[in-house]
Amino acid sequence: MNAPDRYERFVVPEGTKKVSYERDTKIVNAASFTIEREDHTIGNILRMQLHRDPNVLFAGYKLPHPLQYKIVVRIHTTSQSSPTQAYTQAIDDLDKELLQLKKAFEDEKNRLEGKPYY
Amino acid sequence: MAERVSYQRLPKVRIRELKDDYVKFELRETDVSIANALRRVMLAEVPTLAIDLVEIEVNSSVLNDEFIAHRLGLIPLTSDDAMRMRFSRDCDSCDGDGQCDYCSVEFHLNVRCDSDQTLDVTSADLRSTLPNVCPVDVAHRVLASADPNSYDSSDQRGILIVKLRRGQELRLRAIARKGIGKDHAKWSPAATVTFLYEPQIHINEELMETLTLEEKRAWVESSPTRVFGIDPSTQQVVVVDPEAYTYDQEVIKKSEAMGKPGLVEIYPKEDGFIFTVESTGAIKASQLVINAIEVLRQKLDAVRLQEDDSDFGELSAHLHGGG
Repeated sequence: MNAPDRYERFVVPEGTKKVSYERDTKIVNAASFTIEREDHTIGNILRMQLHRDPNVLFAGYKLPHPLQYKIVVRIHTTSQSSPTQAYTQAIDDLDKELLQLKKAFEDEKNRLEGKPYY
Repeated sequence: MAERVSYQRLPKVRIRELKDDYVKFELRETDVSIANALRRVMLAEVPTLAIDLVEIEVNSSVLNDEFIAHRLGLIPLTSDDAMRMRFSRDCDSCDGDGQCDYCSVEFHLNVRCDSDQTLDVTSADLRSTLPNVCPVDVAHRVLASADPNSYDSSDQRGILIVKLRRGQELRLRAIARKGIGKDHAKWSPAATVTFLYEPQIHINEELMETLTLEEKRAWVESSPTRVFGIDPSTQQVVVVDPEAYTYDQEVIKKSEAMGKPGLVEIYPKEDGFIFTVESTGAIKASQLVINAIEVLRQKLDAVRLQEDDSDFGELSAHLHGGG
């Protein structure tokens, strides 16, 4: 009836940006990133990766509402860094980690596939 | 500018068991967020093919059209090329009606019952226009018949769609499209994906030796899964299978009830996970893991800041002022 279309969950509507960025007006080096059509999968890995950065004073994400298909990532950094820098860095590091993970998995698979399965 | 230090980790993988539709592996030196993201992506975001549009020409069976369309949708199809295909909504060379090989595969089904015996219409009756896309069970049978060592599976008859009696007929055209489990579960390539924290078990040997053999037996028996055992020669309590532990705390409660708290200490290892992945057969389980990593990378890449939305004012101020 009035249920939203299923594709609404992962198709970014035309005219909206995937990631938008808003600086905090009251605190320096604090900002919120609104990521459209993403959920805990991205939110949580980003948050955890940001926590590994010593220049990040605060990093958190929220899914404001289950029917608003977006997440908000909030980052607060020291003056040594900036939210955009920390954000980009976190994505770069995660990307490298996943690339390495993929290689590790493929190597293991090739090692095992030399032998018969049973 | 402050040098860009990397906080990247180097995860380790060890595959314990590898079959076409099942893989069990250890993932180490990373954290839960990665493990859980991988699990979520495997379940809901690795693309496969499934029948999405059905045009029914004749249906005189006992099931109505939408019932049959739904059953067709749930048949797993071999989707090895799904990562390379396009989503039909992104496909600019067609309108997703099956005319274009980039985003869709056409199937035909044409069955009529002319005997007194009921006729089973199964996935084996679906005729695909592409040889590498067909129902998973059909592909399996083709492989099995080529391999003389495998046991005879000619008695398997495919996935039942509908039964026809004399005079009934089913004729339709179906379009399979690429999709993800987030859209509809029929596109999910995963039957189950689980991970568990590797338990670390420390037995307090000194305290354990204060128990009699009877008490030791009772304590070992208190675990609902067989985690501990008693060495028959030394009569010591030993860990038989740490992974059988389900974090049920039963042995800890038992120690307390026996008046010996601290007999055993069990805690989950924060950076070691044991994954079990079962595939529906649409793609190999090992490929499912690889595709999941790739999909996750693509997702991360999509959430990068674009040139025009990074705040250059702040950035350049930082470059010149700080440092």
